[in-house]
Amino acid sequence: MSMADPKLTCQDVAPLLVFYVCDEVSEKERKSIEAHLAVCPACSVQLAEERELQQAMIAAPQPADEFDASGILLAQCRSELAETLDDLSAPPVHERWSPLGWLRRFIAVRPAWSGALLVLFGILLGAQLIPWIQSHKSNNANLQAVNVVARQPLTEEQLDKMAIAGVNFSTASGSGPGTVQLQLSAEQPLELSGNVNDGDMQQVLTYVVENGERFDAGVRLDCVDALKAAASNQQVRRALIAAARKDQNPAVRMKAIEALRAQATDEAVRQVMLDALQHDANPGVRVEAVDVLVGSLERGPSPAGDVPQMAPSAPPGLPGMQADALEGDESVERVVRVLQQLQHRDPDRYVRLRSAAALRQIGPRELQ
Amino acid sequence: MPLPRWALALADDNGRLGSTDAALALGTSLSNLDERALVVEAQAGNRAAFEELVRRHDRDVLRLALNLMKRPEDARDVYQEAFLKVYRNLHRFRFECSFYTWLYRIVTNVCLDHLRRRQARPEDQAPEVNAALHEEGITDFFERQREHRPTLDPERSLFGKEIKARISRAMECLSPRERIVFEMKHYQGLKLRAIGDALGTTEETVKNSLFRATRKLRNELGGLR
Repeated sequence: MSMADPKLTCQDVAPLLVFYVCDEVSEKERKSIEAHLAVCPACSVQLAEERELQQAMIAAPQPADEFDASGILLAQCRSELAETLDDLSAPPVHERWSPLGWLRRFIAVRPAWSGALLVLFGILLGAQLIPWIQSHKSNNANLQAVNVVARQPLTEEQLDKMAIAGVNFSTASGSGPGTVQLQLSAEQPLELSGNVNDGDMQQVLTYVVENGERFDAGVRLDCVDALKAAASNQQVRRALIAAARKDQNPAVRMKAIEALRAQATDEAVRQVMLDALQHDANPGVRVEAVDVLVGSLERGPSPAGDVPQMAPSAPPGLPGMQADALEGDESVERVVRVLQQLQHRDPDRYVRLRSAAALRQIGPRELQ
Repeated sequence: MPLPRWALALADDNGRLGSTDAALALGTSLSNLDERALVVEAQAGNRAAFEELVRRHDRDVLRLALNLMKRPEDARDVYQEAFLKVYRNLHRFRFECSFYTWLYRIVTNVCLDHLRRRQARPEDQAPEVNAALHEEGITDFFERQREHRPTLDPERSLFGKEIKARISRAMECLSPRERIVFEMKHYQGLKLRAIGDALGTTEETVKNSLFRATRKLRNELGGLR
């Protein structure tokens, strides 16, 4: 105890006794306290009281011993906690989506009001909503025909089954192709609108012209008229040639020949004209063929070079054409030969006159 | 007594071999895992690991709550509230202290809240355990304690009740924080440093609280001599 801190007094030791008893002092403090206690009876008594107090507190029965001696409370607590955790794991009831929950509550609380509102709602539904749905439905039906179905490419099967309900063709004010509107009666009502160079449009028009026996003559006529602007297209030209040769209706044949006017320098087209001159039963068709042939000879040679170039200056009486330039051209000679035959043998007087006029327009030929 | 639901749930989870529980997949039971591994598992969403953590600590927690609240229903509330807080905030635990310390920080805060609320409502004070004895004129607390503690006779039982009643009354004189410090020191056997960690304060502050608590108790109990 000689190691005791000489400065440690009773006043210093007293507050440390609490911690000394419960072993919460440092080693240095412990030695100092014990050194002081060895020489201070008063502090020793105080230490004894302190120790008794703490021992009494510790030894005294605690509430926990009384309330849960058997551990039942602990088991209950564990069970409740498990249930709460189960609830937390499950989706919270108030967050579950119940869109008509407010309606159910309203109906439960105010049944009379709910019945009245339900009747009112039914009346409004019948008076307003159903007509609106019907009009909306019909609008949708129209839109479907134009915007949806028309965009789909037409199949061969559709083409085979289709019927033309109407054709509207309006020529363009400029040099561009005109606008065509076609109402088709296929498996579904279909309306095509666009110019003749559109893929679908051209496909339908060409099909109608090539398969004339299935369609009305007026429809065929309109289709040929519409295809005139696209005659430079090889497929269209082939369809027009077929119409000029085979169509049952002379007006359609004549229209086809007229449609081919711009392509008359083509050898195949010219051959169609010659065949029409020689074999077509309708004088109007033959006259149209004469006009087209003469016109082609006036305009210039065929792209294949089988028609000679026009002379820069035509002799008097043969406007736009030089007879010498036409000499030796087999194609022209054939035309001249056919015209010469027509001017004498055609049963129709107008055709004979028109052929003679054409020959004069072309000029004197050795064959003449 | 049938097994509580949590025990059944634990058995189910163990048998199911949860995908997050690598230790379980190797055949190691949760009860063999150290606390850190359990916390990690619980943080990963393993319900069984969380319940094992609860099982390891809830007895002490309930005891602390019972001693402080002195009413089973209040202690049950503290138990539920504290462990639910642990469950909801476990993902925030970063192992900067022991799980035990973190748990007790939550528990003591919940207890403090309940005690403060109770102090604010005088009608809601904990009941006297046995107020009758106080009225019998028993004067010297320490004398009576010395005489009767070792015995098992009926007098001991009566004396135990007397001590309990007096201590209970004396404890009511303490502030909530002082009561918690005193409880954790003497009944839970924690060191002051650990108490400071649990309460989120310094050891020095806890020392002061314990000193004040002891002085108040001595005044209350010693004054009867």
